[in-house]
Amino acid sequence: MTRPLPDASLGSEWTILELLARGIVDEPERQMVRDLLLTDTLNWGELLEQALRHKMVPMLAYNIISADLRFDIPTSIYQHLESALEWNRWQMEVFRRETVRVAQRLATRGIHFVVTKGIAFESTLYGGLGTRCMNDIDFMIAPRDREAVLSMMQELGFRPYFDWAKDPRREEISSRLNPDHLPKLMREIDRPGTRIINVDVANSLTWTKSPFDVPVEEALEDIVEQAVPGMPGVYLPCFRPIYQFLFTVLHLFREAWLQKFVDFGNDVSLMKFGDVIRLIDRDCDKLTDSELRRIMETHDITRPVAWVLRNLDDTFHTHTLKLLALEQRGEEGLLASQMQSSGYVRASGQSMRQRLQSKTRDSSRPVSPTRSGS
Amino acid sequence: MDDISIQFEEVLRRHLRLTKPNAINYDMELAQLGLDSMTAVAVLLDMEKTFNIRFPDDMLVEGTFRTAQRLKEAVQLLRERQAS
Repeated sequence: MTRPLPDASLGSEWTILELLARGIVDEPERQMVRDLLLTDTLNWGELLEQALRHKMVPMLAYNIISADLRFDIPTSIYQHLESALEWNRWQMEVFRRETVRVAQRLATRGIHFVVTKGIAFESTLYGGLGTRCMNDIDFMIAPRDREAVLSMMQELGFRPYFDWAKDPRREEISSRLNPDHLPKLMREIDRPGTRIINVDVANSLTWTKSPFDVPVEEALEDIVEQAVPGMPGVYLPCFRPIYQFLFTVLHLFREAWLQKFVDFGNDVSLMKFGDVIRLIDRDCDKLTDSELRRIMETHDITRPVAWVLRNLDDTFHTHTLKLLALEQRGEEGLLASQMQSSGYVRASGQSMRQRLQSKTRDSSRPVSPTRSGS
Repeated sequence: MDDISIQFEEVLRRHLRLTKPNAINYDMELAQLGLDSMTAVAVLLDMEKTFNIRFPDDMLVEGTFRTAQRLKEAVQLLRERQAS
């Protein structure tokens, strides 16, 4: 697929990351990344900081190493990137083994579940190269299984914890009142490089009392399995492509609109948009089928899905709205009228591209330039 | 046990759409006064700090704060438990 090259108005450093986030698909893109990396004026501090913010350091490292730029960039930076990539690969290996351990126990107990996000994407969308960052292991279960899974996880050595939050008690109360996830779970493993493992178990595709949702039971009805790299004969259950797409897009929508993610510095990122682009690239034939449209209409989720895709297209010069025939959907005004709680991000004049680049996410949700107020 | 009404109402006024002179209708659903999932967390936290109490897990449910009356009863119960 050929896509327009991004304009470099936000700087070489940002352009490199935008290109890497959407995935290098042809020689002109590869050459543009290479040329930008070799620019005399490239600000490595800025590039590394933004790569860190967007969880793209291993991906940047992989591209520099595979482009054979060892003697073209500062040695200390090259060595650090090499270590970062190796460490991420190690972390991934630890996560894979732990995922399988938990998954086998869930299966033994007859719990219907899938793995989502990083652990589902790293070996498929990202080719198992160790370039996709993960902070935790994500599972999705049905709400009816919450208590059974919490109890089972405790048997496996995990315990709920809230200390990751700035205000742990606030997080604990919020977690009880908004049961779209189990409390965050952690287990100390004390292995070199990886002291603890965090597991996040969701039981909603969006959030408690969201005006938009897809029943988890429906999404779990017909699932697929994917192989685990380095573990022959071991498979993990995942959403089938349509629900994988819907979950990933709605998740991004959630993180773009809920203020708590902005407060925690964990809202939208290049990597999360990159997941959506890769999913559409991989599953294009299944996503352009009428089934996706039918599911979106049944659950009245077309607007949030189109909102995400509009922002994606505006930012990355993709054409996903057209591909999925959603050009006329995703109106900002209608969405905003459904999202009036104090917990939702307020609109600002920023574009999504500016919001992504901004290092102070104190502001708010961008208004899509092509549809604002409609 | 002391009457907690004044402090209790001050907490509610800090977080809900209440104008000072208006008396709080204790039977009205707090959702009608602007309580949503985010403000509910803030109200409960503020109640804990103001009255030096801690809501146990089984009280962290919507029923506890459906109305001002229910919430006040919950706060009073926890204060009594603490005092005894």
